[in-house]
Amino acid sequence: MTLDLPSNREEAWRWADIGGIAAAAVLAPIARPDASFLDLPGAKLLFVDGVLDDAASDLHRVRVGDLTPGTHALGKRATKGWSLHLDEQAVAHPVQVVHIATGGDNHVAAEIVLAADTSAQVVETFVGAGWSNRNTRITLGKAARLMRAVRMTQGGGFVSIRDEAELGEGASLVATTLAAGDQGVRIDAAITLAGEGGYAEYGGALLTRDRLKQECAVRVRHAEPNGQSHQLWRAVAADQSQASLAAAVEVARHAQKTDGEQSLRGLLLHRTATVNLKPELEIFADDVKCAHGATVGELDARALFYMESRGIPAPRAKALLTEAFVADALDRIADETVREAFAADADAWLESAL
Amino acid sequence: MLQIENLHAEIDGKEILKGLSLEVNAGEIHAIMGPNGAGKSTLGYVLGGRPGYEVTAGSITFNGEDLLEKEPHERAAAGVFLGFQYPVEIPGVSNVQFLRESLNAQRAQRGEKPLSGAEFLKLARAQADALGLQHDMLKRPVNVGFSGGEKKRNEMVQMGIIDPAFAILDETDSGLDIDALRIVGDGINRIMRRPDKAVLLITHYQRLLDYVQPDRVHVLADGRITRSGGPELALQLEREGYVGVGAEVAA
Ligand SMILES: Nc1ncnc2c1ncn2[C@@H]1O[C@H](COP(=O)(O)OP(=O)(O)OP(=O)(O)O)[C@@H](O)[C@H]1O
Ligand SMILES: [Mg+2]
Repeated sequence: MTLDLPSNREEAWRWADIGGIAAAAVLAPIARPDASFLDLPGAKLLFVDGVLDDAASDLHRVRVGDLTPGTHALGKRATKGWSLHLDEQAVAHPVQVVHIATGGDNHVAAEIVLAADTSAQVVETFVGAGWSNRNTRITLGKAARLMRAVRMTQGGGFVSIRDEAELGEGASLVATTLAAGDQGVRIDAAITLAGEGGYAEYGGALLTRDRLKQECAVRVRHAEPNGQSHQLWRAVAADQSQASLAAAVEVARHAQKTDGEQSLRGLLLHRTATVNLKPELEIFADDVKCAHGATVGELDARALFYMESRGIPAPRAKALLTEAFVADALDRIADETVREAFAADADAWLESAL
Repeated sequence: MLQIENLHAEIDGKEILKGLSLEVNAGEIHAIMGPNGAGKSTLGYVLGGRPGYEVTAGSITFNGEDLLEKEPHERAAAGVFLGFQYPVEIPGVSNVQFLRESLNAQRAQRGEKPLSGAEFLKLARAQADALGLQHDMLKRPVNVGFSGGEKKRNEMVQMGIIDPAFAILDETDSGLDIDALRIVGDGINRIMRRPDKAVLLITHYQRLLDYVQPDRVHVLADGRITRSGGPELALQLEREGYVGVGAEVAA
């Protein structure tokens, strides 16, 4: 099979693990791993290699069928998937989607359209091995709110997601992604605050080890005034792995009073690992507040000794400090059940990596 | 309880401890005084096993065991507590979580059952009360944003919870206001003055020794113990200085 994939020579794909995607797409079949839903009410969708498992799913308001593919280099492969449309004033239970890969490649599209004043919560989980590729389009009407949490915990292969979101006036998107498996990752997003006073949080944590490469490439566009955006990313890299965070904020000329924040921080667990950070600001308005911080460091040796001197063994002390580092990102998840499940995944990863 | 013999230790290739010998028996409180840079904190760190502090000669025996053989967390489980001159801030880790992990890790190493969350909280609150530390400070990240005095009080709350057999308290009195000094002094007596425990109290001033009466006082200068005596030595030092008692660094 020959795959038509982007090239690292393109700036937007500079840190992408193209070879990792190609290798994941031809992974040999594995036995179907167990996967369970969190204890939440609402829709439960189970996709196995990109195909809905009807018997194991409960669609509620969600529909499954053909969707218009976009133009994104990876996302365009997804032509079928699920959609959630909420009309005005509707209240919906959460939507959980579990994606199981058992080798090879699979592609699923999704569409989330929330009308004015509606709100929804979507939680996605990736398990198994193979190349899992997703393309999600999000449209938020006036004052609509979407909370989205995605965890990537495949044992091998690659997970790539492309999110395109358009936020109406006063709409809010809070999206948190955790990569805590043994897969390569690309999180690719274009968020547009198309109405006045929109609010977007798009962030998460990448935990890499071995020779894996994980990255996020996110661009938030402020097209209208009074918007707020926060991109808070934490990357933890062990062994010879590479984690890359590229986050851009673009403020249009008349998007005055924009508040755009980027906080990109990397933690090297071993000196052989790599963290790349690229915060970008493109500001065409003159009355804006844009703060950005980008730092890479190691665990604080003084804090480690302090903890050890109180009786905590070194690996546990390192795990506690690393959990604290990652917590900033995961604390953005409002739902306690979801937040705790994500934190447990991060802890399990740390316990085994340290 | 603790025997230190001819201890030599260096940091980054620079020798700081140059043949230090000291013996502390159970039931005793020893004060160590000495000029800035003499090596007092270094002695504490070497006892705690801090990485980067290399012992090049000598021995440290604690309750009959070779302390230098042990990892830092094993020394803690063996009963050694180091009160830091500069307690470390740990953002993102709450005091409660840190201390519960610490205590239960020590208990596990000693083959004891872990304390439940409720049992631990009861113990932590009682110790915080005894040292006048607000309960909400237990929930805050370890030492983050604590004032200098609050950090030192927090060290003593930790000591109360951990209940060690041997404590090295490095300038626990510095940064404390007058009332806090008395509270901390009472705390040291309450937690540590027992026939089966001992304390090494590193301090620059007599004032803490007014509350915590030492059995022995030593002067540490230029990496060695240069003078030892009873409680009166501290008073003499306060009056006459290190030069006055002939315990200054030899030229
Ligand atoms: N990394 C290092 N490299 C070289 N010298 C060091 C290093 N760390 C500490 N020292 C030196 O070791 C010596 C002993 O320091 P130490 O902190 O033990 O002194 P102290 O007796 O506790 O002093 P104080 O009363 O000021 O607290 C000092 O001269 C200090 O500068
Ligand atoms: Mg000192």
